[in-house]
Parts: sequence; structure tokens; C-alpha cells
Amino acid sequence: MTGEAGLRTGVLAKVRALAVARALVVARSLATVRGALALLALAVLAFGPFATAQDASSAQSVQIGSRAFDISRNLRCPVCTSESVADSSAEIAQQMRALIQEKIDEGLSDAQIYTFFQERYGDWILLDPPKRGVHLLVWLLPVVVGAAAVVVVISMARRWLAASAKTEDVSQADLERVRAALAGAAKVDDAATDVESDKGG
Amino acid sequence: MKLGRIAVIAVVVAAIGALFAFGLLRGNPDDRNITSNLIGKPAPAFALPLYERYWTDYGETFALDDHLGKPLVINFWASWCLPCYDEAPVLQQAWQAYGPQGVQFVGVQTQDRDKRDEGRAFIARFNLGFPNVLDNDSLVGVDWALYGVPETFFVDASGKVVAKHIGPVTPEVIEQQVGALLRGGA
Repeated sequence: MTGEAGLRTGVLAKVRALAVARALVVARSLATVRGALALLALAVLAFGPFATAQDASSAQSVQIGSRAFDISRNLRCPVCTSESVADSSAEIAQQMRALIQEKIDEGLSDAQIYTFFQERYGDWILLDPPKRGVHLLVWLLPVVVGAAAVVVVISMARRWLAASAKTEDVSQADLERVRAALAGAAKVDDAATDVESDKGG
Repeated sequence: MKLGRIAVIAVVVAAIGALFAFGLLRGNPDDRNITSNLIGKPAPAFALPLYERYWTDYGETFALDDHLGKPLVINFWASWCLPCYDEAPVLQQAWQAYGPQGVQFVGVQTQDRDKRDEGRAFIARFNLGFPNVLDNDSLVGVDWALYGVPETFFVDASGKVVAKHIGPVTPEVIEQQVGALLRGGA
């Protein structure tokens, strides 16, 4: 934000605060619907100029089309840290946005515009690394790792499914023991239910 | 089997780590000191308006093409840039020392839109004898692939960019680079 814009925002913030405070005083004194209406009206008055100032501030920046915006989103602002030309308000970023629009108006393709900047700044200027050389790793590694993860998940799921579907050979004696245990448990449950119902009766 | 699983995990972790390292190192500002696609290439041409005090010697416009054939020192600066104030006296001294030997210095005020008065004040403050121009829309700055200001380029007599210095120049940098230009057969 420029000093002038900052000053303007500061003044507007004070005006806004003053207007809201004044509206509160009015609303308290009247304590009627009219008071509430006055509050609303003053709030609108307070926020109105702020919104207008915001519009005026953004109107100062260079007007570019969506194609220029998309291209500038993929270019690194040279004087910023990890900020694209589209996001930066630095003067050079504004000039670069205007330059991109100029190149589009001249009929250059997206690739030609990227090349224009690459010829000057090198691959560094591209926020998306080019799909060649060592940069290719950045594009391929996520795909390889993703594919490996899918393979691992599928093989683990298969193993789990196979394990759950597998039947065990159980001897007749073990089966009898389990049946007896289950029958015993059922008797205990019945007895407990009877005791509970006696207490309730 | 257990060893194989550990190996797979190690490979995946190493791959993700390599991606992180690549992303972090790619944005390292130190790269700026070595990144310039202009080195070894012809100096991008420009013709920009000169400040009035230079009109008598150079006319109203400074065209780079008119000065090819001699070693050039092209310094980009801005009136808001504090390091530019540090290097301006160094450049003026260098101009006085090397100008008579045929080295052409030129200052380009850039990333400083509509700051003509500030530009005049800067030039007057250091009484800069070498020509200074205004790159009002910063497009020459983009052509020269500037990262910021100050930046200084050294162009040999064949019109090829041979070196770039980021940050304020020092007498040592000037001596080294201009010395190399002169030894290169200007």
C-alpha cells in the first residue's frame, strides 16, 4: 500500500469510527425505531466512502484481461519473495502485468509470452517449473508416489480381505467346548434376567 | 519382507523430502547472485530520455546503440533506493577515473514512475557527470531482467553483457570489472 493510500485508509477508519459512535449516541437518546433507522443510515454513510475508496484504489492498478491475469499468476514477481506477478503490488509487477497485456494485444501466444520472460530471467521466473530436465522430477515424483500409494493400499486391502475370508479347520472337540460355553453363558444371562425382574416386581 | 517394507517407506520419505528441498532451494534469494540469462548475450537495446543537464553533451535521448563499440557500465537505480545513495559517489568517482579511458557510464532510473523531480534531486545531490536517463514505465528494467535496484551491468566493446552486480557497487567491484573490460581490448 502506498503512503497516500495508507493515509486515506487511516482517515476513513477514523471517520467511520466517529460516525458509528455518533450513531450509537443518537440511537440511545431516541431509543425508538427511528433511532435504529438513524443508526443504520449512519453506518451506511460511514462504510460508503470506505467502499468507494477501495474501488478507487483498485482502479489505480493496471486493468488486464483474464488471460493476462492467468499468465501473470504463473510468473514470479522479481522483487518479491514467493509472490506472483498477479498478486504483487510492486511497481515492476504492475509493469509486467501491463507488458503481458501488451504482448497479448500484439497477438503473442501464451508460450511466446512465457518464453519472452524466460529468455530474460531464466526458468526462475516461472512459478510452475518447466516440464524438462531436472524439473521433470517435480512433475513425475508426485505421480510415481501417488501410484505407489495406490498399489500399496490395494495390496493391503487384498491381504485383509483374504485374511477375513480364510476358514480355519476346527476339531470336533473344540466345537463342543465352544457350544457348551455358549450354552452356559446363555443360562447365566437368563438367571440374571430373572433376578432383575423379581427385584422390579 | 520387513526389510522391503522399510525400503519402500524410506524411498517415499526421501522422495517427499527431495520435493520439499527443491521447493525451498528454488526460492532461495541467493540464487539471484548467479541467475542472469543476459551474461554472454548482446546488451538489450534501449533509447530513453536524458535529464536536461546532459542535453548539451548527449542530446535529449540516450540510445545504447550509439555507444556500442566501447566498454559500458550500465547502472540501474531509483530515487527511493537507499543503497543507490551509497553507490552513487562510487560511480561518480569511477566515471571520473575511467571515463577518460573510453569507458561509458550510464545511469538508468527505473521502478520509479513519474519521479522526475526526485531523479533530478538525486543527480544533483551527487553531481553525477555521466548521463542519466529515466525508464519511466520500467520496461527497459524488464528487458534487462532486473530483480531490484541497484543493479549494474558491464558490457564489453563488442556489445556483449559480461557481468552483472546486484547491490551497491564498491570501488573494488568497479576496479575488477572495469579493469577486465579494459583488458578485454576495448
